Amino acid sequence: MRREIGTRTEIQTNSDIAISVKGLHKSFNLPTEQAFGIKQAIFNRLRGVKGYKEQKVLKGLDFDIKKGEFVGIVGRNGSGKSTLLKILAGVYYPQKGDIVINGNLIPFIELGVGFNPELTGRENVYMNGALLGFSNKEMDAMYDDIWEFAELKPFQDQKLKNYSSGMQVRLAFSIAIRARGDILLLDEVLAVGDAAFQQKCNEYFQSLHDKGQTVILVTHSMENVRRFCNRAILLEDGKIVLDGEPDKVASAYNKMLGIVEKTK
Amino acid sequence: MSIPRVLNRKNRILLSELTKTDFKLRYQGSVLGYLWALLRPLMMFAILYLVFSKLLKIGNDIPHYPVYLLCGTTMWSFFTECTMQGIQSIIIRGDLLRKISFPKYIVVVSSTLTAVINLLINLVVVVVFALINGVTPSWHWLLVLPFVFELYLLSLGIAFLLGSINVKFRDITSIWEVIVQALFYAVPVIYPITMVANTSTLAAKVILLNPIAQAIQDIRYNLITTETVTTWNFVQNQLIAIIPILLVAALLIIGAFTFRKKSKFFAEEV
Repeated sequence: MRREIGTRTEIQTNSDIAISVKGLHKSFNLPTEQAFGIKQAIFNRLRGVKGYKEQKVLKGLDFDIKKGEFVGIVGRNGSGKSTLLKILAGVYYPQKGDIVINGNLIPFIELGVGFNPELTGRENVYMNGALLGFSNKEMDAMYDDIWEFAELKPFQDQKLKNYSSGMQVRLAFSIAIRARGDILLLDEVLAVGDAAFQQKCNEYFQSLHDKGQTVILVTHSMENVRRFCNRAILLEDGKIVLDGEPDKVASAYNKMLGIVEKTK
Repeated sequence: MSIPRVLNRKNRILLSELTKTDFKLRYQGSVLGYLWALLRPLMMFAILYLVFSKLLKIGNDIPHYPVYLLCGTTMWSFFTECTMQGIQSIIIRGDLLRKISFPKYIVVVSSTLTAVINLLINLVVVVVFALINGVTPSWHWLLVLPFVFELYLLSLGIAFLLGSINVKFRDITSIWEVIVQALFYAVPVIYPITMVANTSTLAAKVILLNPIAQAIQDIRYNLITTETVTTWNFVQNQLIAIIPILLVAALLIIGAFTFRKKSKFFAEEV
């Protein structure tokens, strides 16, 4: 099975383009029947059955993101938002097309990647920090701040499996916001914790917005798009249908979903 | 993948943290904890010693036979642990691969490094046993290290090769378990190679061309007794005697290339 491969290059230049995407295509080969295991693979080959079905997820995306832009990516479930984010993050390979990442990119596909329920909060903080590229020494320096922000200090030596899910997310978020990069990729991580913690999160995003951090945010919340983004991209069926003013994109999205907007 | 990226700071941090976590998790929830790293191989040795040395009376003609046996079982455990962990590591760490981007080989290397830590602990036990048993210390002991390294490279090559196939065809794990069982009897760990040589010289030569057998015999030769039969002193033809080394190199290269080619799609397939 031969697959074409696009390119994803990371560079560090002074150009004001942070991310450039040209002709990006991506499809997945989804197994049709039980195509796992050697026996089935041999049978499929003998019968001339492919054993998988090609599912096109992204069908030719072109866009540039400038430094300092706070871009919201919106669209229905299955429109390709998360796949796009994972390709930008370098988790998936672009099938066709060229991607250039200019600067240091920090992806948050999910909060608390690498969290292990059997380890203590302390150990998980160091592990998660390592995934963000922090050494033990750097983690030592910001350790107390992380627990302070998460408001979970008394639990730091408890195993993570004894945390409530809300507590886990708060801890993960507190570590995540320490990451420093030129470009941040965020996938649906705004809505965590209770109202008080939500407030803290919003302050963090506001601060990103204010200091002109380059951010790509995948979200379903049009309120956040209008509030933080200065550009939005609407995806539908693997294609860009609208790219521009957050307000217009949010309206188009709501219209597409048949949501009647409340008058402001 | 360019050379500077391979060992850059971020990857080093990740590798050491993953290794630490793997090691911690291995003995989580057990009362004796890390002690099991020592106890498990010692117990395996005790069983083999009772059965083969005491009941079947094998190896009585070899000086320091208990240490000879312990050394063999330690190296064998290292090989099986290294390959089993390495082959499964990509699936076990699938969660990470699906969510962040980093050089995938780190996952395999970190899981095999746990086996290396275990081996280092066990080597201390072997050395202590050797001293108690009256083996005279010598600078030859240092020559053990290159052969341990050879065994590690072999395990790594196998882990890269089979691990990358295992992502799609999970049967590999089960197949490898069977192969390991068979290999155990094809390698002179519990029986001395002289036993085979007495019946058939050719069979003994073939057995010694297996890199695992060659490495274990060389380690015994340098650590315990120069009476050990090694590939080098048993297979006279030197061109044939280097076959084990070539096999290790070939497996490592094939493994690395296969892994490199397949690792791009691990995130989608795992």
